[in-house]
Formats: sequence, structure tokens, C-alpha cells
Amino acid sequence: MKEAVARADVRGVPRRRVDWISLLRWLILVIAVAIVVIPLTYLLLNSVKLPREFLTTPPTIVPSVLTPEHYASILSDPEFLGRFRNTLELTVASTIISVVVGTLAAYGLARLHVSPTVMTIVLFVFLFIRFYPRVTTVIPFFLVMRSFGLLDTVWAIVLGHLGITVPFVAWLLLIFFRALPFELEEAAMVDGASVLQRFWHVVLPLAAPGIATAAIFTAFFSWNEFLIASSVARNESAVLSMTVASFVTDKGIYWGPMAATSVVMIAPMIAFALLVQRFLVRGLTLGAVKG
Amino acid sequence: MAHADPLGGGSRRREGLWLAGFSVPALLLVVGVQLFPFLYSAFLAVQDWSLLRSPQPKGFAGVDNFLWVLADPVFQVSVRNSVMITGVSVVAEVVLGILLAYLTSGSTWRLRAIRTVLILPMVIAPVAAGTLWRMLLNTQSGLVAVLSGTTGLPSPEWLSDPAWARIAVIMLDVWQWTPFVMLVVVAGLAGIPGEVLVAAAIDGATRWQSFWRVELPLLMPVILVAVMFRTLDSLLSLDSVYSLTAGGPGYSTHTITYYIYNLGLRNFDFGVAAAASWMFMAFTTVVIVVMFRLHRRVDVA
Repeated sequence: MKEAVARADVRGVPRRRVDWISLLRWLILVIAVAIVVIPLTYLLLNSVKLPREFLTTPPTIVPSVLTPEHYASILSDPEFLGRFRNTLELTVASTIISVVVGTLAAYGLARLHVSPTVMTIVLFVFLFIRFYPRVTTVIPFFLVMRSFGLLDTVWAIVLGHLGITVPFVAWLLLIFFRALPFELEEAAMVDGASVLQRFWHVVLPLAAPGIATAAIFTAFFSWNEFLIASSVARNESAVLSMTVASFVTDKGIYWGPMAATSVVMIAPMIAFALLVQRFLVRGLTLGAVKG
Repeated sequence: MAHADPLGGGSRRREGLWLAGFSVPALLLVVGVQLFPFLYSAFLAVQDWSLLRSPQPKGFAGVDNFLWVLADPVFQVSVRNSVMITGVSVVAEVVLGILLAYLTSGSTWRLRAIRTVLILPMVIAPVAAGTLWRMLLNTQSGLVAVLSGTTGLPSPEWLSDPAWARIAVIMLDVWQWTPFVMLVVVAGLAGIPGEVLVAAAIDGATRWQSFWRVELPLLMPVILVAVMFRTLDSLLSLDSVYSLTAGGPGYSTHTITYYIYNLGLRNFDFGVAAAASWMFMAFTTVVIVVMFRLHRRVDVA
């Protein structure tokens, strides 16, 4: 707090210039907010705009009447509903499995007393998996899934996602577990608690914020991901990220349904992001920002 | 051993087994879903195999696939596009991100609310962000065309003009990912001790001097990490280009990732696609190694 006060003093500028500078500051911030909010509002308006209003000259920005027809058309389309269900299944399955498997691995690694060299290699592998061109492994993964007969199943997408999210979760929680004081566990050890009991009763409650961050990041990833999903899913197990881009056809672009589908895809994530903002920021900047 | 051992040797060994067991599922996953496909793609890179011509690999191809890719004019165009799109995007994101980090630094509710709104583009599926911008930039009905029409600004054929289509891809990247740099710099700023700034002010540094001579050098490691994150993520992004321009018009927004995707998953030209992706990976690996070393240095500091 003292630091914040000191900083505010330094950042302050002589009284008379303050007005101009703070005016400019707020002007830029308002523009920045507008650049984020206006496109999203425009998308929302397009999703309730009559089809003919996309074609008028000059074009209609704010629809004269609000029509639910695009939502009605996608929600009555069994294909869309199937893809929505697949997306939900994918997100739930990959989040739960990633958190369980990744958390266990992180705890094991954090407490195994592995040598610094091994730890360095593990951390490098985590960073590498986060950043290498996934397009490299997508084709072999497609072939593997084909030979297992898993092609065009939600499980193929889940597996593909786990390859990315499990190392991510393990990385995040490894940092977290290494920062936890060992004394608490030691006390439990003296009381005769087994490694499982310690993990369950001592470590997990303390790690809850880290686990929340990991779960939230995984959920966002699986809901939004396109490359892996589009390579192993074709029809039966297709997901929303593949639908969104499918309204551009040879016969033209179906603007209304495209906007409505985008809203269905984007709106829950924005609502979710506003709810869990605190955890989200940590997940988004993992690796770039420590602690 | 750093910690006192309240257990006997036997139960410590049992503990070790449990802990190792904890890591097994994750290890199996990484081996099965990452390592195996990884090695498989190395195998594919030296095979003569296009699924459309043959259901099985037709045999060892040596470096033929690599030579084919290097000689492919589309590959050369894609590399040029990627360098240009990623280069301009990252520079713009860093400049704007630092600016926004400074302008939003503070903990009043207004500034916090603004930061919350500004990070929203990051949570949108890139493929949906691409369709959103496709709507905005549509020359017939898009908001951008309407705005430039009413304000008298030139209204280019955004997505059907090669140069403007590339600019559109850049705009989308900047729109979606400037908040990332902002978040990283905000965190970096929080790590600068207030005393340092006070000292600079006492020494008579102006606000501007304090930024250039004191804060920016202190922020540099954090900014570098952000630059590398954005460089790789931008190079590797596929979805936004796929839904915004589909690589067009012509090959004008083909990026390296889009090129490989097209070869492998549209044309099923596995051998050639794998060769291209390994060349691409050699480059990204260098960046990852640099980033890793830098990252560790920042961590120690």
C-alpha cells in the first residue's frame, strides 16, 4: 500500500498540466473500450437483423425490427444442436480429466526430489508443448486416431486436447506446489498421514486457487479450439468452432445464422470470463509472468 | 536432503513409488499424444506419401519433400506473409500494450472495469473473432465500410484486395492480443519497487526520463518474454486466418501454418506437409530455447 502511494506521488504531474494529460488519457481509454465493445455489439445486432437488411444500400447497422429468426433457425437445426452438445461434452471431459491428471503429476513431480537437470528438462518440455507448431503433430495424430477407429468421435478431440492441457495444468500447479511450505505436510507426516491423505486433506485445499485457474484455462481452450477438432472430427463429432466458419458457401454468406452462431459461441465465454476474471488472468499469462 | 525425514527408509521408498505413480498417467498421455505423433511426423517427412495417390506410404523419399517445399513458390509467399503479418502485429501489440498498461495502471474501480473490458477479446474463440471481423470488414454491409463512408475516408475492398487483406489479418491479431501484452506489462510494472521511481524523481528526472531511463530498462525482460510469446502464437495461429480470409485472395494471406494445414489436411499430402512443418519447427524451437533461457534468468532475478 505504501508503495502504491509513493508511486501515485511520483506519477502525479504538476497541477496545471494534469487536466490536459488526464483528458488525453481518458480519451484514449474511451477509444480503446469502444474498439472492443462496438464490434461485439455489432455482432449482437447482426444476430437479430432481418436478412434483407444486410443487403440494403446504404447498409442497415441498427436493425429496424429485432428478429429471433436466426436463433430459431439454428436452435431448430439438429446438426447445430448436436455440435453444441459435442462442444459441451468435449469441454467438460477435457477439463475434468486435465485437472485430475495434471494436478497429480504436478504433485508427484514437486515432491519426488528429482534432480535439477530432470526438472529443467521437464519445464522445457512443458514450454515446448505450449509453443511448438501443433500443425506438425496434427496429421500423425489424425492417422493414429484413424488406425484406432476413433476418427470422428468426441474422444479423439478430447485426447488431442489433453496432450496440450495436461502439460499446461501440470506446469501451472508445479509452480504452485513448489511454492507451498512443506512444513504443513511434515506435520501431517508426523501424525502418521499417508501420502494420499496428505495430498487430499492438506495440499488440495491449499491448491484450490491454482486448480481453479487450471480448470478455467482448460475449459476456455477446449471450447474455443479449432485445429485439432477440425482435423479429427468431420460430421458426427463436429464442434461449434467448426460450425462458425461454415456459413461462407459458394451460394453466398449466411450472415444472420453466422452471427447467431458466433454469439452462442462467444457470449458464454464472455460471461464466464467476467465471473472468474481473477483466475483467468493468471492462466492467460502463465509463463510470461511469474508467481 | 533438505527436509527432516520423519519416516523410515522403507516407507520413504513406498512414498516415492506413490509419487512416481501420480505422474504416470500424464507421462503416458504426453508420450502417446505428443511424443509418438512427433516422431511419426519425422518419419512422414521422409516418406513419399500423398493420401490421394496412395493409401500407404510409397517408400523412402530422402530429402525430396524438403526440396519440393523449398522450391514451392506458395511456400515462399507464405513465409513472406507470415514474417510480415507477425512482425507488424507484434510491434503494434507491444507499443499499444505498453501504452494501455500505463494508462490503466491504478486500482480505482473505473480503471479496473476498463481493464476487464479490454481483456475480453482474448477469451473469444479465434475462429469466431475471424468471422466477426469478416462481418465488420464486408464492403457491402460491414460497419467499417459504413463508418468510412460517412466520414469520407477511403473504403478499400478489404478482403478482396491482397494488401488490405493482410492488413485485416494484422488488425484482427492486434485487436485480439494487445490485451495480452497489456496484462504482462501491468504485472511487470507492479514488480518495480516504488522507491526506485521516488529516487529517480528526487534526482530530478522528468516523468518522461524516468520512463525511458528507469522503467523501460526494468521492464525489458518482461517485454521480451511477451514479444516471444506473441511472435510464436501469431506464427502458429490458424483459426483466425481460416475464418477471416481463408488464406485469400489468392495466396495473399497464406501464412506458414495455413500453408501446412492446407497441404496436410486439405490435400492430404502428408509427406510434404510433414517436411514443411519440420522446417517450421526448427525455427520455432530456436525461439523456444531462447525464451526458456531468458525466462529462467528472469525467474532467478
